[in-house]
Amino acid sequence: MTGEKKNKGLARAAEIYQSRDKRARELKADGKKVFGYFCCYPPVELMTALDILPFRIMGDMDEPITVADAYLPTIMCIFYRSCFDIAKKGRYDFFDGFIGAHACDGAERVSHIWRYYIKSPCSFFLDIPHTSHSAAIDFFKVQLNYFKETLEEFMGKKTSPERLKEAVSLHNRQRALVRDLYDLRKSDPPLITGSETLQVLISLMCVPVEEGNTILEEVIEEVKERKELPEKKACRLLIWGSLIDNTAFTDLIESSGLNVVIEDTAIGTRPFWHDVELTEDPMDGLALHYLKEFRCPRTFRETGPSYREDLESRFGYLKEFVKDWNVNGAYLNIIRNCDIHGYEVPAVRDYLEGLGLPVLVIEQDYSTAALEPLRTRFQAFAESIG
Amino acid sequence: MFFAGLDIGSTITKIVIKTEDEIWTSVIRPTGAEHRRLAHKLMEEALQKANLTFGQLDYIIATGYGRINVPFADRQVTEISCHMRGINWFFPGVKTIIDIGGQDCKGIKVNNGKLVNFVMNDKCAAGTGRFLEVISEALGVKVEEIGDISLRSTNPAKISSLCTVFAEQEALLRLSEGVSIEDILAGIHRGIATRIYSMVERINIEKEVALTGGGVKNVGLRKALEERIGFPAVVPPEPLITGALGAALFAQEYVGRIDKKELETRKKERRLEAVTFFGEGPTRGQNG
Repeated sequence: MTGEKKNKGLARAAEIYQSRDKRARELKADGKKVFGYFCCYPPVELMTALDILPFRIMGDMDEPITVADAYLPTIMCIFYRSCFDIAKKGRYDFFDGFIGAHACDGAERVSHIWRYYIKSPCSFFLDIPHTSHSAAIDFFKVQLNYFKETLEEFMGKKTSPERLKEAVSLHNRQRALVRDLYDLRKSDPPLITGSETLQVLISLMCVPVEEGNTILEEVIEEVKERKELPEKKACRLLIWGSLIDNTAFTDLIESSGLNVVIEDTAIGTRPFWHDVELTEDPMDGLALHYLKEFRCPRTFRETGPSYREDLESRFGYLKEFVKDWNVNGAYLNIIRNCDIHGYEVPAVRDYLEGLGLPVLVIEQDYSTAALEPLRTRFQAFAESIG
Repeated sequence: MFFAGLDIGSTITKIVIKTEDEIWTSVIRPTGAEHRRLAHKLMEEALQKANLTFGQLDYIIATGYGRINVPFADRQVTEISCHMRGINWFFPGVKTIIDIGGQDCKGIKVNNGKLVNFVMNDKCAAGTGRFLEVISEALGVKVEEIGDISLRSTNPAKISSLCTVFAEQEALLRLSEGVSIEDILAGIHRGIATRIYSMVERINIEKEVALTGGGVKNVGLRKALEERIGFPAVVPPEPLITGALGAALFAQEYVGRIDKKELETRKKERRLEAVTFFGEGPTRGQNG
């Protein structure tokens, strides 16, 4: 095992990004249990506390969907269709457990179908309310306790509040390191590209939190010392949307005259931007964090008394991103048929344009084969800024 | 000084050579499946027509779908920016541009000569020149004539589908029902106009509107679009060359930004050779 871990920092992240399941399979061979989970809502802290490796389920933009269409309608989210497609083809056959989640309707439907057709020794569906008022948080806490009990039963051991707090601290450390990494993108040019950042973030979602933290520490040190900087470009881009999980996409954007400096996405700032509060009962902190602090349009937020105040309360955090990362253009990335992000586009666009930013919206097909026609759009957008 | 714009479209390749003040010459030829590789030959033809040598061109910009990997271009700019610039040269007051090309259709917003927003059709031939070609083939008339024929319609047919394949079937079905070609074509043009309108309306159609691209040569489509928009639009004297003209205008602008020495070096490095395709080697003319 030690012989395998020669690469450090960015090279190690790139290696994990390329073969995402390699480390998980190695650990499994050593007796570790690996659980696949949907989206960023199932608390990874609970899995870490029970010595389970949480493994984020992603799709594959390089793999044409050929099997999933027999099980899922083609008018739903292509990302989740792809997740299911590659799972049916055996890509995730090493999971000891599957954690479905009601993150969005696509994830919810696929969760049930997944449990039916892809058998894992353990499976759990996490019910997540779509509002964040106190009754919803109470309900969610109950769900999280069910989740914990399911894991405990499967592992044949109990976790303790102390062990859970340790896991929370480890993951909070990861969140703080990711925020430190994002700080290195504030300069112009950013010290690290969008594609490199994506590789690092994805690698974190495929290895134990301690290993991820080591990678982050190494990457931060490496990037700070770096002599050859990314090319300076006219546009400093904020990406908003569900997610991008393939560097072919960020490479396309960054070769079209745009530097990606921050991503408000589910493989971007969202899982890392707030720490979980260390409450007396750690489950309280987890429930609050995932339902209230977590910023994703899948959770409805209380509206303000006017449209403007409403926008401010829902998207005010984007103003900070724009200011601190010196953003001068925004790209709203919609994976085709993603309802929750699609419905939000007019409001987010309005808010960002109100901040003086040009906004590019693309509904894309989650396929590397369909990327090249988007080049003209990104280039024209860069030209309109530069 | 001479500035050249080369617009390699999916269907037609256009070249404009201009001086500081006027269009010196222009050439329009089909692109074809293999002809993109012959863009340099077309440049030779343009030079011959203009009575110029390659070395006399001070700056060359490539645009259009085939703009990448043009070894004799100094830079590439997207056709969205180039159409905007070309139209702005003809009609400085235009705020909305609708470009109907061979394989795509675009809406472009302009403000004070600057590109502010754009929208493009997505993986669908409806509202493009290709759609018109398919329909004219199905009805057995020449694509150049369908516009005029449609103007003779008194009762435009209802065409429900604008998927190219299904619209073709539907047109043939109407034909078998005894509907006249005039009425079918008028119905088709109305349908396309509605589709283009609703796409461009997403970026807010503001007066004045310019129509450009090969599709506008079709008077039936132009009329249907103007009816849908609700007011007349302006059309440049040759709607095919606005992209190439815009590229030549950008060439003129970029020359002003670089010093003479660098310009001379660039001119020496340029090779009037075949355009290569993705992953085929030379990548001169890329941005940056």
